Amino acid sequence: MPYPEELVRPMRLELTSAGVKELKTAAEVDTFMAEKTGTAVLIVNSVCGCAAGGARPGIKLALQSIKPTRVATVFAGQDTEAVAKVRSYMSDIPPSSPSIAVFKDGELVHFVPRHMIEGRDPKTIASELVKAFEANAVAK
Amino acid sequence: MGTFHSDKSVLHGITVVVNTNGPKVYVGRCDDEDDVAVILKDADVHEDGQNGKSKAQYVERAAKFGVWKKFDHIAIPRSEVTSISRLGDVKPEPVKAPEPPKVLAAEAPKPADPKTIIALTENAQVEVRRLIAEQNKPGLGLRLGVKGGGCSGFSYKLEFDQKKEGDIVIPVTDFNVYLDRKSTIYLRGISLDFQTGLQGKGFVFNNPNATNTCGCGESFSV
Repeated sequence: MPYPEELVRPMRLELTSAGVKELKTAAEVDTFMAEKTGTAVLIVNSVCGCAAGGARPGIKLALQSIKPTRVATVFAGQDTEAVAKVRSYMSDIPPSSPSIAVFKDGELVHFVPRHMIEGRDPKTIASELVKAFEANAVAK
Repeated sequence: MGTFHSDKSVLHGITVVVNTNGPKVYVGRCDDEDDVAVILKDADVHEDGQNGKSKAQYVERAAKFGVWKKFDHIAIPRSEVTSISRLGDVKPEPVKAPEPPKVLAAEAPKPADPKTIIALTENAQVEVRRLIAEQNKPGLGLRLGVKGGGCSGFSYKLEFDQKKEGDIVIPVTDFNVYLDRKSTIYLRGISLDFQTGLQGKGFVFNNPNATNTCGCGESFSV
């Protein structure tokens, strides 16, 4: 069951205020994924304080260093249709939220599952994301 | 960074590997732990040797992408637990994408006997036949392939498609398997199975030549 929107709104804002585009419908996800050129970062946001509480500031920090062509987010447990659509593009990876997927020219090149986020501070999450982005999406 | 909930154990909310003194190993999100039990949410369990994987191999695979949950909630008796560790601390061996084979100009690829490239188990044939029949499109076959540069550098492709120019066609009773020529290098000797079990249904590639298998692309849910 979704959380009350007023509780979730600040968590959405934390990313959208950093320039992350929010995708709320399956059609919006399809449009985002249809663009294959360049690098894309897709974040599955979550209310979970244990993991997403560190992920959001970590992502914001990382976005100061990396400049993906497109960056978007869906909210697990809230925008279920959009999240299911995102997962359909990564159907061989177990559902995980929060999580971060990095695409290069439409191909998934790096995936950060929840267990690589939880318990880590935002700085560590940011630095690992920057490293992975540069190694997988930029260098190739 | 500690737990988010002060009334829970230090591992609350953390995905952990719970090893036991028996054949089982569990991966799930720790809800709580005490002298009686370790309580996991969204957990999976693996038995040593299940699907040809040892406990260590299973954990290594889980460390890359996570696990498909089998239980919403499970309590593991403390008396069975030998260790609890963070899944995020497990360092999986990196899986390198195979280098493209170097073919000298004088060594033109020899035509392969298609039937020696791949095999489909009876279960896989039944499932493929069923899925093709469902789509009711003449000429539809099973396309298998590999793609490089995926999340682990190398993953399998499986889809239903029509024959394309240059494809190698492998007839399997009443349907065809299509392979693009580049993929045959990596698929030679492989067998495709369809498994149904406690971990769910899916196509599984068995590659006798692989020294490492990765979570991504090994099994496709249907």
